[in-house]
Amino acid sequence: MNLLGIAWRNIRQRWLTSLLTALSLALGVALVVATLGTGGLVKQAFESGAGLGYNMIVGAKGSPLQLVLNSVYFISKPIENISWEFYQQFLPAAERADGSDGTFASSSKTAVPICMGDYFRGFRVIGTNAAFFNRITRGDGQPFAFSSGSNFRDDDFFAGVLGATVAAQLGLKAGDRFAPTHGADDGKVHDPFTVAGVLARTDTPVDRGVFVNMEGFYLQDGHAKPVADGAAVAAPAVAQQPGAPLPLPAAQREVTAILLETAAPPGLPGMPPLPAELTAMGLRTAINEGRDGQAAQPIAEIRQLLDLFVRPLELLLLLVTALVVLVSAMGILVSMVGSALERSRDVAIMRALGARRSHVLATVLIEAMLLAGGGGLVGWLLGHLLVGAIGPWISTNAGVSASVFSAVPLAEALLVPFLILLAIAAALLPAIAAYRTDVSKWLQGPG
Amino acid sequence: MPGGETVDVLDIPRFSVAAGEHCALEGQSGSGKSTLLNVISGIMRPDAGRVLLDGIDLARIPEAGRDRVRADKLGLVFQSFNLLPGFTALENVLVAMAFGSERPDRARAASLLTAVGLQHRLDHKPSALSTGQQQRVAVARALANRPRVVLADEPTASIDAAHQQQVIDLLRNTCSQQNVALVVVTHAPEVAEQFPRRIRLEQFNRAAAGHRH
Repeated sequence: MNLLGIAWRNIRQRWLTSLLTALSLALGVALVVATLGTGGLVKQAFESGAGLGYNMIVGAKGSPLQLVLNSVYFISKPIENISWEFYQQFLPAAERADGSDGTFASSSKTAVPICMGDYFRGFRVIGTNAAFFNRITRGDGQPFAFSSGSNFRDDDFFAGVLGATVAAQLGLKAGDRFAPTHGADDGKVHDPFTVAGVLARTDTPVDRGVFVNMEGFYLQDGHAKPVADGAAVAAPAVAQQPGAPLPLPAAQREVTAILLETAAPPGLPGMPPLPAELTAMGLRTAINEGRDGQAAQPIAEIRQLLDLFVRPLELLLLLVTALVVLVSAMGILVSMVGSALERSRDVAIMRALGARRSHVLATVLIEAMLLAGGGGLVGWLLGHLLVGAIGPWISTNAGVSASVFSAVPLAEALLVPFLILLAIAAALLPAIAAYRTDVSKWLQGPG
Repeated sequence: MPGGETVDVLDIPRFSVAAGEHCALEGQSGSGKSTLLNVISGIMRPDAGRVLLDGIDLARIPEAGRDRVRADKLGLVFQSFNLLPGFTALENVLVAMAFGSERPDRARAASLLTAVGLQHRLDHKPSALSTGQQQRVAVARALANRPRVVLADEPTASIDAAHQQQVIDLLRNTCSQQNVALVVVTHAPEVAEQFPRRIRLEQFNRAAAGHRH
């Protein structure tokens, strides 16, 4: 039997009060852990999208943030479309019908078009070309991998690739067919595509995308841009399989956005290469000063979004949950004050047995620390279980893996020690009262 | 006293108990019994004079020192037992050991409770014990740290008449076996007369004699 054993016994003696106090602490801590965890996941979700293998998005004039949210995260509505001709300005001679470099070709390493407007059972359908998965890398610099099948070919007009979440939720696999709908899930049903491959999980918004060959996208009802009667319409030079329908003429094409990886500027002989960001700065200015579209840098827009909205919101949530923890810690004070009478007699008995004042003070503080430590650990576990329980929803909607093990290590490591310090502060008054207990008064009356 | 007046309760020129000696301090209510016990046990400091326990003057050492001496050299048995209600009989004895110089020893605590006839009640809390059994636990607890003196304050006051003698016999026998001095404070003549040495407290009671400052 030592002070720890005595403190534990005291807790067990008042087990119901102790349990309620610890539970209240646990709930407060669970809230904090869940808030920290989900906040971290939200930030990760946005930062993962901003870190894909392109550093600029070109789209119609309007809100850069809307452009990024739509093009990278597949949320919000497209601003407008940009012309096919404007897209061609980013292509090198080999990819253009006229055999000459586009205006911005020297500044563009990779330019991948995307077309939006369709859905498939709640997931966005993105029309693009094979370069999306052949030339653009994931945020970690690694190429996209396929868990089954492979990327679609540009000459296979009605083929597509599914993100990991889409395939898992809808139970689709390579070889299956799916038919997007126009504008919304209850819109006109388009001609079907065949799944060429299912992407391996990337923990980016790509997991929630349905990617179809742009050529097949253009051939769907309602996707061709109207042209004036009698206007010349020439088909672009695209590879196609024998028996495939003719591709949509260039004059009737538009794109929603271009995912751009800028080229690094040529460095001086013998010097290390210059960063691509130098090109990006100049290109962005040139595009934004023009009339055809705007250029937005995903990282900059997302950081702004995080700074303006997500971080303040996260701070506010943390503040609220911290207040909950504070109130819970006060529960220790309340429960100890409530048991003051009983405790005074016990303290007097222990003092009569030879306990020093420091012993009884320490016993009270140890009791508070045990309640806080126990409640804190249970709360930490509960918080993680909560994140794990809503993990599938987060994974589906935010595009990041969320599980019981999702954590913010530094903040969580400080949480329980902070709680114990808080408990010591809350228990200080009862501890001092115990320290000052009048032994003779509590043991017996006047002799 | 209310109004700031000081009243001398006891004025004892000399009172000593030899090692292993048993004596009874007899006095009615208000005679200063509890005050004397508080002073002897170091819970209170006398206003003047010395309190020597095994050569240590409790009147001269700080409170923490008195606490330590009380833990190691004194055993206390109270009128209302004063057991810790949330602790078992065994744990009540172990708690006393926790504040002594020696490590708490479960085996020794169990043997003390066996010596007072409670070998089958080790895991019982006070609420599950009779008053007589509770007092036995208190006796075992008082002997936990191998004290030099056991002070018993009205040890039979809360015990029914049929078992009072058992408590006195238990105290005297266990203290004799371990050569521990025993001082029993009582108001009952029938208890006091069982001890070889009887001291009436009224002779030291200055409040009764009207001594005020």
